[in-house]
Amino acid sequence: MQSSPVRPSSLRPRFFTASLEKPALFLLALTLACAVPQLLAKKNQPANGTTAVNEEKRAVHALNRLAYGPKPGDVQQVMAMGVDRWIDLQLHPEKISDDALAARLAPFRTLRMSTREIAEEFPDNQIIKQVMDGKRSMPSEPARHAVYQVQIARLEEKREERQERKAEAAPAPQSAPDSMTSAPDAAMVSNSGGGDSNGAKTAEVLAAEAAARPDAMPATAADNNLAVPANASNGETMPAASSNSDSDMSTSAQPKAKPSPQDAAEARSREDRLYADLKVQSLMDLPPDQRYKKVMAMSTDEQLAFADALRGGKGQDFLAGLEPKQKETLQAMNNPQSVVHDELVQAKLLRAIYSDRQLEEVMTDFWFNHFNVFVGKGADRLYLTNYEQEVIRPRALGTFEDLLVATAKSPAMLFYLDNWLSVGPNSMQALGIPSRPYGPYGPYGPRRFPNPNAKRKQQSGLNENYGRELMELHTLSVNGGYSQRDVTEVAKVFTGWTIDKPNEGGGFQFDPRRHEPGPKFVLGHRIKPKGEEEGMEVLHMLATSPQTAHFISLKLAQRFVSDDPPPALVDRMAKTFEKKKGDIREVLSTLFHSAEFWDESAYRAKVKTPFEFVASAVRATGADVDDARPLQNQLNKMGMPLYGAQPPTGYSMKSDAWVNSSALLNRMNFALALTSGKIRGVKIDVAQLAGSAPVADTPTVLTTLEAKLLASDVSKQTHDSIVAQTESPPRSDQQKPDPNTASEKMTPQQATAPPKPADAARPADTSMIAGLLLGSPEFQRR
Amino acid sequence: MSITRRVFLRNSALAAVGTASVPSFLTRAAFGAAEGGLRNKRLVVIFQRGAADGLNIVVPHAEPQYYAMRPSINIPLQSVLDLNGFFGLHPSLSAFQPLWQQRHLAIVHAAGSPDTTRSHFDAQDFMETGTPGVKSTEDGWLNRTLRNLPSTSVQNAAFRAIALGPSLPRILSGTEPAVAMNNINDFSIGGRNPRPSPVASAFEAMYDHSSDTVLHGTGEETFDAVKMLKAADPGKYNPAPGANYPKGRFGDSLRQLAQLIKANLGVQVAFADIGGWDHHVNEGATEGQLANVLSDFSLSIAAFWTDLGSLGEDTVVITMSEFGRTARENGNRGTDHGHANVMFVLGGPVRGGKVYGHWPGLDQSQLYEGRDLALTTDFRQVIGEAVARHLGNKNLAEVFPGFDNQPEKFLRLLG
Repeated sequence: MQSSPVRPSSLRPRFFTASLEKPALFLLALTLACAVPQLLAKKNQPANGTTAVNEEKRAVHALNRLAYGPKPGDVQQVMAMGVDRWIDLQLHPEKISDDALAARLAPFRTLRMSTREIAEEFPDNQIIKQVMDGKRSMPSEPARHAVYQVQIARLEEKREERQERKAEAAPAPQSAPDSMTSAPDAAMVSNSGGGDSNGAKTAEVLAAEAAARPDAMPATAADNNLAVPANASNGETMPAASSNSDSDMSTSAQPKAKPSPQDAAEARSREDRLYADLKVQSLMDLPPDQRYKKVMAMSTDEQLAFADALRGGKGQDFLAGLEPKQKETLQAMNNPQSVVHDELVQAKLLRAIYSDRQLEEVMTDFWFNHFNVFVGKGADRLYLTNYEQEVIRPRALGTFEDLLVATAKSPAMLFYLDNWLSVGPNSMQALGIPSRPYGPYGPYGPRRFPNPNAKRKQQSGLNENYGRELMELHTLSVNGGYSQRDVTEVAKVFTGWTIDKPNEGGGFQFDPRRHEPGPKFVLGHRIKPKGEEEGMEVLHMLATSPQTAHFISLKLAQRFVSDDPPPALVDRMAKTFEKKKGDIREVLSTLFHSAEFWDESAYRAKVKTPFEFVASAVRATGADVDDARPLQNQLNKMGMPLYGAQPPTGYSMKSDAWVNSSALLNRMNFALALTSGKIRGVKIDVAQLAGSAPVADTPTVLTTLEAKLLASDVSKQTHDSIVAQTESPPRSDQQKPDPNTASEKMTPQQATAPPKPADAARPADTSMIAGLLLGSPEFQRR
Repeated sequence: MSITRRVFLRNSALAAVGTASVPSFLTRAAFGAAEGGLRNKRLVVIFQRGAADGLNIVVPHAEPQYYAMRPSINIPLQSVLDLNGFFGLHPSLSAFQPLWQQRHLAIVHAAGSPDTTRSHFDAQDFMETGTPGVKSTEDGWLNRTLRNLPSTSVQNAAFRAIALGPSLPRILSGTEPAVAMNNINDFSIGGRNPRPSPVASAFEAMYDHSSDTVLHGTGEETFDAVKMLKAADPGKYNPAPGANYPKGRFGDSLRQLAQLIKANLGVQVAFADIGGWDHHVNEGATEGQLANVLSDFSLSIAAFWTDLGSLGEDTVVITMSEFGRTARENGNRGTDHGHANVMFVLGGPVRGGKVYGHWPGLDQSQLYEGRDLALTTDFRQVIGEAVARHLGNKNLAEVFPGFDNQPEKFLRLLG
């Protein structure tokens, strides 16, 4: 948000007059006092008194920008290697071994599967329905077979419920309550992790998901042609099973009283749940492998109830010690798709925290966000794993055009921006020409692909979604000088770029039957008719446009320098971009070797996004992440669910999007929870971080932690606030009658009382001090 | 009939915060309201992000072109909830019918931002900054609205401006303090303990005295708000009888907003948004994607209205979306980005039961660029009237710079 009015309290001058104990403090004072731009340290500066400090600051700055912040010991390592050498190495990730990370990612099998394998092993409802309808064979492999069986049972149960409800329901003008109640079943986010993901996100994800799944729609077409909506006929053919139906409009929208069959069903399922809970308890004591075998030996109905009982923290305990595949199978019984999403999210967090190829991760995140695809949109939940692994990461430091083409052809993008559905208005398909027409359709002319989807026959129109975002968000930028006409023409160019069976994880294909014939006119250029090649020509045109060079350079500078980067820097980067044909490594090299990047004004100029904050906090504390899903839940709360940006703009990199009350509170609460070991799946040893001295006094602990977590660069305000807090008598909150305290009648919830410095003062103090430091204004910046 | 147009003395305000050890500023606020000296007028803005399809929301069913242009996604005549013989509501908006009949709900059709962009991003930006076509505007119009607004008697202004959601939207960014809130119950430090936790005061000291200009202001607003909220004890909340909020983010947002308003925390402007309107593919008709999001939308707003009870007298709710959608359906049984749209205006002072604005028609020659509903009412006219006549901020030149917002041009939606 924009600068707020200065309050009287902040007008009081607070200069660091007396207590210049630390060089870092002195430096900060200098920073604040100095209006003149100043380099953090010049490369070939002759040695003087402050060089060591400056070199340390340079290392911190580099780690904050090219990495997700320093881990314990990182600053020293980078200094030992030399900051410039370290940067150069980061620009060549292939030279960095990343074995430790590989071990952490090993359990996530979906990361190494093709999209088709993912679709097969973690089926969505479409695939399950195909099996139910006999259109697809049941897999024979035992684990997969069990997963399919449970999903079939789940769908059948749901179908029955719906029919029961329908039979009971009064004729309603719309079916919204139905869709609302069935919603959570499809949610993948709700099932992941410790069960505290908020319903809000789920609803959003669902909305978009519903928006994206064309086949999930009720077939209203026939009804509409007859001008009789399905619901109306339902109402008429099923007259008043309920005599109490006062079917006026205003009351029909209210939730109805539950009919008795539903009560019975609920009682039944409650019983099942109870039984399943007991079962979990009884199996818990067995060795992991035995546990798994017992579950696999259950009947499908038992497995169904059992899978439900595994949700939440208890499930995590139950799964502990199982083989990766066994874990996945049991989780898939619950919700197959959540396995894919969970592993993707966990991998992203683990990579950000533990990868030694930090710049590669930062750039993968940058490009993913630039070419954003939303996980909640239908088949994209299947495609994202490969999109990130195969399309983005290998090209994160490659050339822009290569990346642009790869995203344009990726099923993830084709699905997300609807291009896979786009059909030229004068294409063979739109005109209903059955086969092999003679006509000038370029080199791809007469080839004919089997129509993967019967439904597609009905589609005959142009979809502009990709054409617009390609120019607005991926290349030229919103001021890039294109018109609505250009959008339409580009959309025509890309007709035929589609996907072979998205529900089964199919790949890119060019379908000449959908391709709009004739020349197109894009940005003043005439594109000759030549099928798929037209798209390549347009992508080349866009990738090499000076507008694109400038836009990409600007975004990179916003990521690495400041929200409003110096235009001169952006211009120089754009020049490199043009001269080096969009070589991203070269553009970054220009950036990292610029005076602007090292300018004092750039130091801590960026407010961390929630993702950067969480990753850097875990890194700073040297915590060991066993299960990253609880971290994802934290990000949901901060408004940044991973892969969850619905609009094609992706997430903002600017501070105003992330600095607000709610998010700030969540950051502080996360900092406290993390350092006091309250984030499930994250092991932390703050005492060790604070130094091993067993009888360390508070000032020493504070100084040590300031050095470890914030490179000793802490403002006097932050330092003093923590000192005041540690000096205040314990349990002060209990004694002091606060005027703002509300009446006693409210229920006191002790659930998450803050860490109290009881008698064993030291360890609790340590985690609180660490929490306060991670929640401080300084740590919100990088 | 649940809501009447009677004016209440809202002595329930005290009950909402409890009587024992009520902070003095809260008692002052409550008495101030009860004395009727400064009635706390409020404006709630709801943004339908993604470009809602106005033509299928308030359906021009008497327009012959409508059915011709939308062969598979039209709302059949017998399903439309007729309003005036020409327009009718989508059947999923049945919760709006009673509000219309009670004349609390007005509709403005063919309204929106005059800028011709069809980019979601730009168009939302323009509607939030209130300066269509000008990208350099830094703050949002809802924030500027507060600038010349006589504040309520609640001295601590932490809750004057509220956004429901994880981040502060553009519309509320600016120099006036505004608070973004995702979940009221999480809005504290160190858990839900009713007492301020000691770490909270340490954080507060840090941020209050921080020289970080970006974080300092937000920190201060945050801690003020946390304290007020703790005092008001929002932990337990039961909406008024009959206020049945649907499950989901939007319903949650409005429920929490009603909660804050009823706790008399001095809310003057509030913002909530609802996504899921961008239906390029399989939009659906009486059922389907649009129908689902519409029932979430209308049931939530209707529940909010019921929940506010007599406080609805002083409340105006305005809905908007960045642009409309193409008049014709596209080849995927969906619609693409268009131009003008429909706005709902709900509230005590609203002269409802009427569709305002000028209907441009759907003939080929009447369409904007031959494809979209033309725009006849600038959204700033609608909002300007609410800002000036309801909230009492007459300085519209500041709220909507560069827009000629003369009171004579108001639609006279407010009585």
